[in-house]
Amino acid sequence: MQRKIKLVIDSDLENIALIGTAINKLCSLIPLSDEEAFQMELCVVEAVTNSIKHAYGYDSEHQVEINFVLSSEELTVDICDKGTPLDKELMEKKFKEPLECDDTDPDNVPEGGRGLAIINTIMDNVSYKSEKGINCLTMKKRFNLLVGGAKGPVNG
Amino acid sequence: MVIVEERMDSVDVLRLEGRLDASSANDLKEKVNDFAQEKRLNFVIDMAAIDFIDSSGLGSLVSSLRSVNKLGGDIKIASLKDAVRSIFELTRLHRIFEIFDDAEAAVKSFEV
Repeated sequence: MQRKIKLVIDSDLENIALIGTAINKLCSLIPLSDEEAFQMELCVVEAVTNSIKHAYGYDSEHQVEINFVLSSEELTVDICDKGTPLDKELMEKKFKEPLECDDTDPDNVPEGGRGLAIINTIMDNVSYKSEKGINCLTMKKRFNLLVGGAKGPVNG
Repeated sequence: MVIVEERMDSVDVLRLEGRLDASSANDLKEKVNDFAQEKRLNFVIDMAAIDFIDSSGLGSLVSSLRSVNKLGGDIKIASLKDAVRSIFELTRLHRIFEIFDDAEAAVKSFEV
């Protein structure tokens, strides 16, 4: 059985805390540790921030839709917008970029551009689709009801 | 995010409260730059009350560090919650910043 919730925000950076807080709380329904719930929140925040910054160019007159879907062994989150699609080549490059940095000189450490690499590191599966004017980043995280950090059954 | 300022032994301690994300990252950069213009270049960023940080927040710390390093100053980090520390480690930024258990220890480290 799947359980779903759809959250929609105006594309304003000030609204991201609402989504982050909601996702963190929703993660308490599944057997994730507090740290893992924080990481799920981080991935969703990074993706929503990308939509607002890159798809909508900080224009707050649009909307970002977040679909949170729970099945018995997997959490799926779609982040969808109707703005400018991400460049696929650039995206694949960002996905593959290591989070390693040269720690001998802060000047060699990038200030930004870590969002997609963070998502790719934390999530088990990430995909991006742009069809009919709708762009969706889909992130999946598997969990085991019998192992680690359980806070109660999904259907409890 | 709220930034509470305190001066300890010629070090500016900035106590951050709330979420350091894309909506607040510029506030931190501007605060550090304002101090730097007054030649106040040594900082401790106390993150005991930071509940959440994202890549934009981390970017603001890196940007601030670069700015003050160029002028001969430094930024040290204190009091990370476990989840926040895990993101520093995930992005390897724990190797760029000196991280202390509390602000007092971070301030003292400037004396050496």
